[in-house]
Amino acid sequence: MTTALELDVVTAGYGDNPIVREFSARLEAGTITTLLGGNGAGKSTLLRAIYGTNRLFSGRILFKGEAIERLPPWERLRRGVGFVPQGRCNFPAMSVGENLKMGCYTLPSSKHEAAIGRMTDLFPLLREKWRTEAGNMSGGEQQILEMAMVLLLEPSLLLLDEPSLGLSPRMQGDVFATVQRIAATGVTVLIVEQNVRGALLISDRALVMEQGRRFMEGPADEVRTDPRIRQAYLGGNIKETAA
Amino acid sequence: MTIDAAYLLQLTLNGIALGLLYALIAVGLSLIFGVMEIINFAHGELLMLGAFAMTFALPVVGLLYWPALAASLFATMLAGFVIFEILLVRLKPDEFERSILITLGLSIILIHTVQYLFTATPRMVDTQYGFDGVAIGTIRLTWTRLIGAGAAIVAFTGLYLTLRFTQFGRAMRAIAQNREAALMVGIRPRTVARNAVILAAGLCGLAGSALAPIQLVTPYMGQFLIFKAFALVIIGGLGNIPGAVVAAVALGLVESWIGGFFTAAWQEGAVFVIMIVVLMLRPDGLFKRGGMRVG
Ligand SMILES: Nc1ncnc2c1ncn2[C@@H]1O[C@H](COP(=O)(O)OP(=O)(O)OP(=O)(O)O)[C@@H](O)[C@H]1O
Ligand SMILES: [Mg+2]
Repeated sequence: MTTALELDVVTAGYGDNPIVREFSARLEAGTITTLLGGNGAGKSTLLRAIYGTNRLFSGRILFKGEAIERLPPWERLRRGVGFVPQGRCNFPAMSVGENLKMGCYTLPSSKHEAAIGRMTDLFPLLREKWRTEAGNMSGGEQQILEMAMVLLLEPSLLLLDEPSLGLSPRMQGDVFATVQRIAATGVTVLIVEQNVRGALLISDRALVMEQGRRFMEGPADEVRTDPRIRQAYLGGNIKETAA
Repeated sequence: MTIDAAYLLQLTLNGIALGLLYALIAVGLSLIFGVMEIINFAHGELLMLGAFAMTFALPVVGLLYWPALAASLFATMLAGFVIFEILLVRLKPDEFERSILITLGLSIILIHTVQYLFTATPRMVDTQYGFDGVAIGTIRLTWTRLIGAGAAIVAFTGLYLTLRFTQFGRAMRAIAQNREAALMVGIRPRTVARNAVILAAGLCGLAGSALAPIQLVTPYMGQFLIFKAFALVIIGGLGNIPGAVVAAVALGLVESWIGGFFTAAWQEGAVFVIMIVVLMLRPDGLFKRGGMRVG
């Protein structure tokens, strides 16, 4: 197996505040990894650091063996790192069609149609809502749109921050199935999820973060059955949704 | 008092022509605000630079309107580029206060530099069209006014098509709507901001060039305009480009009508009276705010 992403004692945060501290991890190509942690643990901060939209204080980030920590986000995107941030991340006053065209921003125009066609096949909802302003869709529909905007570029590493937030249980299942299908094509996925059980069920490995530091790492089913994890994230947790 | 219909029509046409020039300035301001979240208080000085460029270019090209206009557009866009690369690029989106002080300072420096170099003596400039124009009955419009209005309409059409249908223009709307999403799709905010500033400077240059043969050119001619343009951008709904155009044309009409029937003193105050009334009745302006809407 080849390593797709390697985090080497990464310390990252905002302004003068390091949030994630000395975090190391290694993701094998084509695997799905869930990143777990309580609210404010620094999960989103770590994903932003991998994509390059916040401040990296120290450490190295190797993508396919190449150091990317000094590159701006669009260069990382060009190399195959795709990032769907947490919360609303589309262009609300543009139609769904225009949003997808913006997703093609870094592609040559000859490839736009085919790329968008693949996404509307994958998510037929986007074709139905083609003319709807993104801001007027439901949260779940917008979440699908955002994922499609990044998948257009066929990234080889996909960073997903809470992709099932606001989705109905059924649509959550659809998202997980899609992620699994994407990973099966060789894409490496790092996913942060509020539906911990659902995410762990499709994951190969899990990383657990506590207060910005790595707390645990291992195969997803081991982490899922670990008593400490069951206690904190699964058993009786109000955020848990049956998957 | 009986109102002469021809006189009213004349005032209306003058008002539309004036309003379109206001719109050029307001739209540029709105564009820069959308992409950079700053108000460029040196915006009126870009217009002044455009007017000066026109007064210097016209004699050189034998009073030919179009080559002088091209030279002036180039000069103002270059000025926009330099201002962006030296100052604006250093401003972050959340530094609103710093942006006000820096652009206001720049505006004053530009006024005084131009005054030092070229004196404050008002300049008049002639074009190949002189005072020729078209006359329908007693209504008269000079070519310079007509061309100014026509060029503005062409510029708005071009801008609309660019923002609506090209990735170059869509990227500006994208940044105005969601910065994080813009990064997600690989947009380079700095490049897009630079494009927006150059484009806005070009619109100012167009307005300045159009004004140069119509009114006296002085280093101060842009100073008051920025406040009017700012008011128009607010009235039109911050970030709403067609809103700013509508507000600007409406203001041109109102000013022209007021100027035709009352003293000029009322004319200058009108926009601010309207702004205050609008903000009292509709705090977000007349049209839907934000997102750099184009339609
Ligand atoms: N843009 C920001 N600027 C400054 N501090 C931030 C910013 N975003 C997050 N933080 C801080 O970083 C810490 C970690 O936040 P982060 O969003 O990474 O947590 P998280 O693990 O993703 O939590 P959640 O499950 O709530 O999404 C928090 O204390 C938060 O206040
Ligand atoms: Mg988060």
